[in-house]
Amino acid sequence: MVWDGALRLVHWLMVALVPLLWWTAEEGHMDWHKSFGLTMFGLVLFRLIWGLIGTWTARFAPMVQRIGSLNIYIKKLRNRDSGATFGHSPLAVLSVFALLLALTAQVTTGLFSVDIDGLESGPLAVLISFETGRQFAAVHELNFNLLLALIGLHITAIAIYYFVLKDRLVEPMVTGHRSRADFPTSDLPENRLQLLPVIAAAALALACVIAISNFG
Amino acid sequence: MNRCKLQFMLPVLAGFALLSACEQTAETDVVSETAAVELPNGMTVKEQIEARQGHLKKIGKAFKAISDQLKAGSPDLAQIQTAAATVPTEAMGMNDWFPEGTGPASGIKTAALPIIWEDKTDFNDKIGAMQDAAAKLDSIAQAGDVAAIGAAFKTTGGTCKACHDKYRKDD
Ligand code: HEM
Ligand code: HEM
Repeated sequence: MVWDGALRLVHWLMVALVPLLWWTAEEGHMDWHKSFGLTMFGLVLFRLIWGLIGTWTARFAPMVQRIGSLNIYIKKLRNRDSGATFGHSPLAVLSVFALLLALTAQVTTGLFSVDIDGLESGPLAVLISFETGRQFAAVHELNFNLLLALIGLHITAIAIYYFVLKDRLVEPMVTGHRSRADFPTSDLPENRLQLLPVIAAAALALACVIAISNFG
Repeated sequence: MNRCKLQFMLPVLAGFALLSACEQTAETDVVSETAAVELPNGMTVKEQIEARQGHLKKIGKAFKAISDQLKAGSPDLAQIQTAAATVPTEAMGMNDWFPEGTGPASGIKTAALPIIWEDKTDFNDKIGAMQDAAAKLDSIAQAGDVAAIGAAFKTTGGTCKACHDKYRKDD
């Protein structure tokens, strides 16, 4: 088990939500945009908490440590050796952090955004002036482009692994599993999903979503 | 640790800088000479466009004030009433804000689309609908029934959208 069920569910829900958020914003279905946006906020929050108390491959601390072997890993890649890593490769760690950072910025600015007509606004925009809310909306729009660029990079990288390095990364993200024989060592960290942390992280994220949606 | 953080922060920051640079150049478009042309009403094209944008921005601000209160558990009526009263005032005479020559061809930054001047009757009808709705919103706000205010606010917002969908460039 490489990717636990909670992590995979959150990942694919995010994938589904990004186009929906894009479309609802473009078409001006702002009630839907805000509902989906709050859902996304909950997912991002869950993922951030999961990075602290989740399974080994979900946690941030081991990921940060892996960045140290980035240079070695890139040398291996140059030799067409993707060298399966248990969890995120040092390069993937950078991608995960960049994506989570961009998503966090996107949902946070959304909560404070005000549209140009003052008719639509995120649930926390009551705390700030019209002008400040407009600035949040500008960052919200700008950062969306950054998010799209990072998503493009993410998908390109997966395609390169698939076609050039013959490494199928999507399957484990769907099923959660990857053959033990793929890894250089059989001494793998404990990575099973534990019920208590999942419930705690989900409850905390849900509580924040409810608090924010009822704010005011 | 710090260096590692920098390694992934840098591309992100660079991206931001690049994007905001693009935004900047788009906004500082060259202003053509027509900007200074005087209109029959005595204003220059630039003054006219900036004046209408100023009024519309004030309406947007008033709407946020109303929307904030409507979202609150216990809305502050006085704030809603003050804001609702500014809308008909700010929207007064809107028919006259779009004289010929104050479209995007003037070189001034405006979201007003050229089709405004192809169907001025429909455009002015939509302005009339908004002014009526805003007047109603004001009188309902002064009466003080929050549910009714909420409904009138939605209706008024709908009259803005009806025009923007057709005559204003998407931002
Ligand atoms: C990852 C999550 C999100 C994505 C991808 C997203 C995407 C977008 C996009 C593409 C726009 C249109 C920007 C433009 O062209 O003007 C937009 C506007 C907006 N979003 Fe989001 N959004 C997200 C989350 C949120 C959240 C959580 C909220 C608040 C609950 C929110 C509230 C708004 C508002 C109020 C606007 C209108 C701003 C304007 O008209 O300038 N969004 N969003
Ligand atoms: C009470 C309802 C309305 C509100 C809150 C409103 C608000 C706004 C705002 C905030 C802007 C942007 C100004 C800027 O660039 O700073 C704008 C622009 C514009 N609106 Fe409205 N508006 C309303 C009704 C209408 C109606 C009924 C029409 C058409 C019949 C209309 C046509 C336009 C046009 C053409 C622009 C572009 C003006 C320019 O950039 O020079 N609006 N509106």
